[in-house]
Amino acid sequence: MAVRLFPLSLSLPLSTRKHLVNIGLCVGLIWGSYNAIIGPDLVSELRDFTGRYGAYLLLISLLFTPLSKRFNWVKRNLSMRRNIGVWGFIYAAVHLLIWITLEFYYDWELMLDEIAGNLFILLGILAFILLLPLAITSNHRALKRFGYRKWQMLHTLTYIAAPAVIAHHFMAQKSDTLEPLLMGLVLVLVLVWRYRNAR
Amino acid sequence: MPVKSSEITPEKVYNRRRVLIAAGLGVLAVPLLDKGYGVLQQKQVEEHQPLSQVSSQPNVQSLPLEPTPYDTITGYNNYYEFGYSKDDPVKAAKTLITSPWSVEVSGEGADKPGIYDIAEIKGEHAIENHLYRFRCVEAWSMVIPWNGIKLADIIKAAAPNSKAKFVRFTTLNDPKQMPNAGWAGGPYVEGLTIDEAMNPLTLLATGIYDKPLEQQNGAPIRLVVPWKYGFKYAKSIVKIELVEHMPETTWWLQNKREYGFYANVNPQFDHPRWTQATERVVGELGRKPTLLYNGYAEQVAHMYPDLDNRLYFY
Repeated sequence: MAVRLFPLSLSLPLSTRKHLVNIGLCVGLIWGSYNAIIGPDLVSELRDFTGRYGAYLLLISLLFTPLSKRFNWVKRNLSMRRNIGVWGFIYAAVHLLIWITLEFYYDWELMLDEIAGNLFILLGILAFILLLPLAITSNHRALKRFGYRKWQMLHTLTYIAAPAVIAHHFMAQKSDTLEPLLMGLVLVLVLVWRYRNAR
Repeated sequence: MPVKSSEITPEKVYNRRRVLIAAGLGVLAVPLLDKGYGVLQQKQVEEHQPLSQVSSQPNVQSLPLEPTPYDTITGYNNYYEFGYSKDDPVKAAKTLITSPWSVEVSGEGADKPGIYDIAEIKGEHAIENHLYRFRCVEAWSMVIPWNGIKLADIIKAAAPNSKAKFVRFTTLNDPKQMPNAGWAGGPYVEGLTIDEAMNPLTLLATGIYDKPLEQQNGAPIRLVVPWKYGFKYAKSIVKIELVEHMPETTWWLQNKREYGFYANVNPQFDHPRWTQATERVVGELGRKPTLLYNGYAEQVAHMYPDLDNRLYFY
C-alpha cells in the first residue's frame, strides 16, 4: 500500500534525494558542532550529540528493509539506507575521535584504564570495530569485488554492532533511560523480524 | 519479480545469520545482566574491601585553583526538577520564584525550631567566600567560588539536642514553578551526619562569584559539601531537619546500588558503571586524577575512621 508521506520526493530523482540527505546530515554535524562550541561544555556536547545521533542513524538504516516491505515510499528510497548507515558511522567516528582527542588528550594509558573499568565503553569500542569494515565496504566497488552473498554476510555484523551501540547508550545514562530503552525496543523488533524473515 | 537462483541464500547461510541475530539480542541483554550481577553483589558491597595506596595520594592542597568561568557554572547544570539535560536548567529555571523564600529549621533534634526568611539568614550570619573543587559523580568537575554561610551556624541557632544525629535537607518541589517537579516521586531529599554538617567546610551557599545564586544553581540557598559527590549538594532548600535516624536520600532511593548516603569522593572506589579514578574538568581538555575526599582529606578524613568501609564511598 503506497503512503504518500513525501509527495515532494516523488518529483525529485533518487540521486537528488540522496544528495539532499547527505547535505542535511553534513549540515547537522556542523550545526551540532557550532552549538557545542557556543555552549558551556564543548567536549561533552560534541561527544554526546555525535554519539546519540550516530545511534539514531544506525537504527534508521536498519529500519529500511522491514519498512520497505510495508511502505512503497520506503521501498523507493531503499538504496538510501547505505547513505544513512555511512553517515551513522561518520557520526560514530567523530564521537570516538572527540573522546580520544578532546576528552583524553591522547593519554592512551588513561584510556586503557577507562576501558578496563567501564563495560559500556568496551561495548562502544566493540561496536566501532565491527562497524569499521562495514563502512569501508559500503560502496558499489566493494560489493562487486566480494560478490553479493559474501558482502551481505559481512554486513550481518550490524546485528551485533547495533545492539552494542544501544547497550552502550543505555549504560552511559545516569538515570533517565527512557530514550535508550525505546531505541532498544525498536531494535528488538527489527532483530525479531530479521530472525523470522532470515532467508 | 522472479528471484534469480544466485540470490537464493543457502540454508546454511541463513542459519548462520540467525545465530548472529540471536547473539545480537544477547548483546542487548548485557546491561540487564550487568544490573542483575550488581544486585547479587549488593551484599558484598556492604562488606569491607581492602584499600591499598590511599596514603600515597599527592598533596595538592597547595596547588592554586583556577575558578571555572561564571557562564560555565551557570550553563552546565544537573537540576532534574527543570529537566534531565545539562542545558535544561538554564533555560527552564527562570520560572523559579526565589523571593520571598523561607527555610524551616525543625526536627526532633532541634530544641529551638524556627522558620527563617532568606534575608534574615543572609543578614544574621557571616557570609564567607570559599573556592572549592566540585566533583560530580558523573566524573566531571569544576572549581567554584562560593559565597555562603556555615551550616554549623544555622544548626547552633536551632539548639541541637542529643537526638540530632543526622541532618535532613528538603528541596522545593512545586510543579507550578518546576516543569519536571517530582521526577523522583517526591521532593529531593539529601542528608548529612551531624558531624559532617558541623564541619567548617560545609556551607549553605547563597552566591557564586559574589552574585546571588542563579536559579539553575539552586537559588536562593543550597548545600555545599566539597568532599562529596555533587548530588549531595541539595538545591533550593526549604527545610532543614535535625533528626535521629539516617535520612533516606533521593538518589539512594533511586538506585541503592549506585548512590549511597555518604558519597565521599574516592578515586579508588568505582561507580558500578564507570571509574572514578579521573575526572573531566568542564571547559578544559584532557582529564586529571581525582583526589581522595576531593582533595579535602586533611579537613574531613577524621570523620571516617575506617577507610576500607565501602559504605563511606559510594
